[in-house]
Amino acid sequence: MKFRGKITDIACLNHFTRVVTTISKLTKTCVLRLTPDHLFFILPGKVTNGGVGMWCQLLQANFFQEYQMEGVTSEVQEICLEVSPEPWSRALKTVQSAKSVKLKLTRKHCACVTVAAELPTLSSVGRVVTHDVPVDVIPRRLWQEFQEAGVPDFDVSVYLPPLKTMKSVVDRMKNLSNFLVMEANLNGDMNLKIQTDLVSVTTHFKDLGNPDGGPSQSRDPEVMAEVTVDIRKLQQFLMGQQVNPSKALCNIVHQNVVHLVLLHEDVSLQYFIPAVA
Amino acid sequence: MNCVIERNSVKALGKAIHALSRIGNELWLDPMAKGLALRSVNAAHSAYGCFLFSPMFFKQYSLESGSKQGSKAIKCKLVMKSVLPLFRCLTSIERSVERCHISVSTATDRVIIQFFCRHGIIKTHNIHFQESEALQAVFDSHLCPNVLKAPARLLADMVVHFPLFQEEITLSITPLKVTVRNYQQGGKGPMKTTYTEMSLHPNEFDYFQIGLDSDITFCLKELRGILSFAESRSLPVSVYLDAAGKPVCFSVEDVVLEATVLLATVTDSDSRDHSQPTESLTPKISRCVSSPAQPVAVSQGPGSRSCTVPDELIPSSQRSHVISCPGATRLPDIRESTCLSVDSQEWTSSASSPASTKVCSLLFNALSSQQDEDGCAAQLPVLACYSDEENTDDNHPRSPSL
Repeated sequence: MKFRGKITDIACLNHFTRVVTTISKLTKTCVLRLTPDHLFFILPGKVTNGGVGMWCQLLQANFFQEYQMEGVTSEVQEICLEVSPEPWSRALKTVQSAKSVKLKLTRKHCACVTVAAELPTLSSVGRVVTHDVPVDVIPRRLWQEFQEAGVPDFDVSVYLPPLKTMKSVVDRMKNLSNFLVMEANLNGDMNLKIQTDLVSVTTHFKDLGNPDGGPSQSRDPEVMAEVTVDIRKLQQFLMGQQVNPSKALCNIVHQNVVHLVLLHEDVSLQYFIPAVA
Repeated sequence: MNCVIERNSVKALGKAIHALSRIGNELWLDPMAKGLALRSVNAAHSAYGCFLFSPMFFKQYSLESGSKQGSKAIKCKLVMKSVLPLFRCLTSIERSVERCHISVSTATDRVIIQFFCRHGIIKTHNIHFQESEALQAVFDSHLCPNVLKAPARLLADMVVHFPLFQEEITLSITPLKVTVRNYQQGGKGPMKTTYTEMSLHPNEFDYFQIGLDSDITFCLKELRGILSFAESRSLPVSVYLDAAGKPVCFSVEDVVLEATVLLATVTDSDSRDHSQPTESLTPKISRCVSSPAQPVAVSQGPGSRSCTVPDELIPSSQRSHVISCPGATRLPDIRESTCLSVDSQEWTSSASSPASTKVCSLLFNALSSQQDEDGCAAQLPVLACYSDEENTDDNHPRSPSL
């Protein structure tokens, strides 16, 4: 099992750091799945996470100038590791000016991913910083959880309003209630609603647009599909977003799950928030 | 004591207080002829900081307190929590404070800090103080075999890679490279933490003198304060280090001020055998490099024994007793002996800290209250003891204090 990737381009380093930082804000630990062409940051939607699932897919060629990997066996060209993205994010944030950053799978006192950066200096000898971040290798028998889940048959698919606006709305609603209802229809309308004994608040978004290839056209465009979710999970998702994605949409399966999809320069991030029982 | 500080310098004073607040919970004010010293020490006596502002730093500086002509300058001890909030927001101080008056009123036991701000606003703060003997450490940086000097930026760049919660780091220095890495205390066990290491070449330092390859571990949190101060004034930082177990000194100076932080370092007793050569832990006491030779004006509280400080190298002082750094409680007094070196085996047996790591306590004494509590039998074990004025004579240059 081997993995070695090198980033020498500053923009790529910057982008990679932002992705890792976003992931670190969404979850404390996740699974990193490495294949010859992709990196996946995966959080399977288990009960322990409150049912929240995350799937983030990166094309390695867009980030790494050098990339070599050998899977667990010669037939299976994949590696699955359980990682904690926060130390990676910290390590990467301080080396933004590096000449090169290497990520390697190493074995020190335990399995680690080593982030090794070469920093520029005025003298001929560079400064070297290494961070050995411990990881856990996940045995193959558990791998089926980390295959890409099929996209559920959703009832409504709608583009999201600007995330900053959504975040400020959700932040204020969080003070009033723990549960929020997200609903949208095929007319490009979306509502965020909370209801308590004393007050109910609804924020209406209009003319958001619906992506093509959406669900059945036979559905009445005015009918809302809704899901009641834990507001903190939605807030956590919105807090982690640092850059406005080029595409952001939301698929709703009525009373079941909210599926948020963000696309930014060919990094796709999917986040599943289940309905509250 | 009475002094006036002009606008730009108020920020520097505030930054100094911030740096000292990272070290201890109390602030010692010591007005002297050579300037105003602000000092602090942490509870475990493993970190000490001193900022000395010369009279040139002030618009006006006088040792006399207002109406009482000829009264002695009072040395006081303030609670850091009372002082720090006044200087908490440095940007707003920079914007609105035109000058600052500090005076000591013995009649009311208050230090009066007045901020004269824009629009004619005057903010007056009366802070209760406790009269106290001066807190002083005597540390001989001349005898440190390793001396580094670098712009504050370089040191800041070295420590930026460590998370804010990182307590201790290990600095290793050889003629070929300088390495900083995080330090994990043995007890952490299988806990998986990120191991960070950073190395650079000696030629990045403005001055690099190495007499002894050494590996020292000290508390990073307490250092960050002075690094931030040095960076704000773009001053180079000098680092004086010795073998593990001996204190490390970080010092910064310019025309109007000098700042020093002394940190105890961990000794790893497993790596040393018990015939621990006494000289490796023996503090050698002589003149401190940066201050002009001045008498150490320290008087000892009742009940403590004065310690002579001869100039030749005697394994002196109640030695470093064992405390685990940081933040651990002081060990109970080990022995009463005066300036005799303590056998390392005896140490080990009386040590209550984990056998694998021991930290030499920093030195010197803050007197009064502690001594009174402990009584005559108590010898606050020190690494370097200061001399009493009465005990020095012409043969022995008085050790200047920091």
